[in-house]
Amino acid sequence: MASLLQAVILGLLIGGVYALMASGLTLIFGVMNIINVAQGAFLVLVAMLTWWIWRETGLDPILASVITTPLMFGLGWLLHRTLIARIRGSSPSMSVLLTFGLALTIEGVLNVTAGNKFKSAAPGYFEESYQIGPISLPKPQVYGFLAAAVVLAVLYLVLARTWTGRAIRACSQNPSGAALVGVGATSTAALAFALGTATAGVGGSILSVLYPFFPASHYDWISRLLGIIVLGGMGSLPGALIGALVLGLAETLTATYGSLRWSTLVFYLVIMLVLLVRPQGLFGYRLREDAVT
Amino acid sequence: MAGRSTRSWSTPLTSGKWAVAVAALVALVATGCQQKPSEGAKDSGKPIVIGISLPLTGDFSQPGGEAKRGYEVWRDLVNAGGGVLGRKVELKIVDDASNQDTVVADYTKLITQDKVDLILGTFSSLLNYPASAVAEKNGMVFVEPAGGAPKMFEQGFKNLFFAQPATAPHQADVFVEWIKSLAEADRPKTAAYPTQDDPFTRPVIESMQKQLEEIGVRTVFAQVYPAETTNFQTIASSMRSKRPDLIAQGAVFEDGVGLVRSLKQLGYSPKILFQTSAPSNSSQYSDGIGVQNTEGVFYTVSWHDQAKTPQNKEFVEAYGKAYNNASPAEDAADAFAAAQVLQAAVEGVKSLDQKKISEWLHSNTVQTILGPLSWNEKGEPQGKFILAQWQSGRVQVVGPAEAATTQNIVHPKPGWK
Repeated sequence: MASLLQAVILGLLIGGVYALMASGLTLIFGVMNIINVAQGAFLVLVAMLTWWIWRETGLDPILASVITTPLMFGLGWLLHRTLIARIRGSSPSMSVLLTFGLALTIEGVLNVTAGNKFKSAAPGYFEESYQIGPISLPKPQVYGFLAAAVVLAVLYLVLARTWTGRAIRACSQNPSGAALVGVGATSTAALAFALGTATAGVGGSILSVLYPFFPASHYDWISRLLGIIVLGGMGSLPGALIGALVLGLAETLTATYGSLRWSTLVFYLVIMLVLLVRPQGLFGYRLREDAVT
Repeated sequence: MAGRSTRSWSTPLTSGKWAVAVAALVALVATGCQQKPSEGAKDSGKPIVIGISLPLTGDFSQPGGEAKRGYEVWRDLVNAGGGVLGRKVELKIVDDASNQDTVVADYTKLITQDKVDLILGTFSSLLNYPASAVAEKNGMVFVEPAGGAPKMFEQGFKNLFFAQPATAPHQADVFVEWIKSLAEADRPKTAAYPTQDDPFTRPVIESMQKQLEEIGVRTVFAQVYPAETTNFQTIASSMRSKRPDLIAQGAVFEDGVGLVRSLKQLGYSPKILFQTSAPSNSSQYSDGIGVQNTEGVFYTVSWHDQAKTPQNKEFVEAYGKAYNNASPAEDAADAFAAAQVLQAAVEGVKSLDQKKISEWLHSNTVQTILGPLSWNEKGEPQGKFILAQWQSGRVQVVGPAEAATTQNIVHPKPGWK
């Protein structure tokens, strides 16, 4: 019983962090139909930056997201203005090419500047945990989860309660309708892209404490994140949350009751089964093609 | 967290988008990135051209980059000393992006189009396996700096030579011997064996488990985990409930750091901790787990920077001079040794005749910075690894006795600090 509880709690803690990392990806896809393959590279970029800030100033890596998040927001805005906006209206496969190129560029720049070595931030609490009876809650996981929960809640409020959020959602649901009522498509898209990139600011900071990383780590992360949003329903924020929690639980439960070997397989099996029943993912929904295009 | 109306969050899905999304996912999982090998082969002039494909990007970019440095340090030392057979040496290194298909294409191109004089191996069993087949098919001698998985040598190749002291299943022998040398009361009673599903770590741990079971060490935990595993709390918590005296992990790198961190979070410290290659990554390892937690960690390794082997001192100095006083990684030393092996054979037969080089290597012992190397008919080396242990923030060689830098062995391992 204790091991079940331990596995479930750990799975949820891990899943919460995955959810934050996937939220930017799904947001960008929802608004712009852009599959941002560079999201994993953004995470690793921020992790590297956070590691460097922590190393130089001793600032807590998770708190360092206060610095990295605005930077990533700015970077996202800039990238949208200079590169992403140019492929507006082209097929989504163009976005994969463009953002994959971005990912390779970031990997290459990190290789040259930061060096091709494993790094991990190790603040004082990185190997401590809270002990509640037989259950251990590793402190970095708990702090990472809390930070992720706060950011997701803020993101949710921004999208649900502000005019900017409504504009983003409007563009996501019906771009031409949104344009008709006066929503500026380009600036809204830039904002959404910047917001999506900014989530990597916190996600990457958490990553730097939880997992060792090096420039090529982004391949692992982007495949995991794509899996999450495909399961949850591409473009759906609650879907990303549920998909991430399922991945977290699949990892810890299969590791506890089976073998870690099978955890990836179990997760992809869940995806396949869900897609058989709901081809649009858990929270995605499908419109008739003739009504959309 | 879920909205009042989940629909309002979602975006219309069309089959076109799906196809792209799924294609993107598949493409990313399946490939990594592809890069064209660099162009511009010069037709054979004076220098001896050695063709090499290395994983300079992708998953194995770290060891690949070190191997490149090892080869280049060797080239510079050899050229400074007048070259091989009086000819300068030129390396033609291309990037295979850690991809099996690319490595095959690379070596095929190097051999058949660029017509290089010699080739040297790449990094990891995963890449050396297909690459060695290309070499064998084309009758080229293939000296590999890494790639000790058992299946490498089941191919029955005549041109394959593994330039390390022992293959994977024998790399932990020196550790098992140390355990056997302990008094009955000091030996571990129980052991846990987590290992990454990697051709380089798994055989080490599985062979160790078999050998330790034979001397009565009871196995209480054995699990194989995939390479992409990032969370180790569940493994650590399963092991804690079994309380093993010995934890022997087949760790590549980040999994080794991850497991130690998780064990410490859960407050479990075994009496003996062994990890395959993670602890050999000097400061990357001690920074990752905290230098105070390295005390007493064992690993086996093919090379040590203070070993008194031919040219080792020159190698360490030349490497430091070329790379900001950095100390070489084991992978760089292995690459250097592989080049030494090829050099010795070429000079031994005084020609570039591949058949003669292969025969010479089968019947001679080569002195390298890793110690003396010799091979059986399948290309398996016949030597022994070094047993190393972290002590007071530094790595000491503790076995075999003739190579030891200290007689002191930390046992049992102190608890986490």
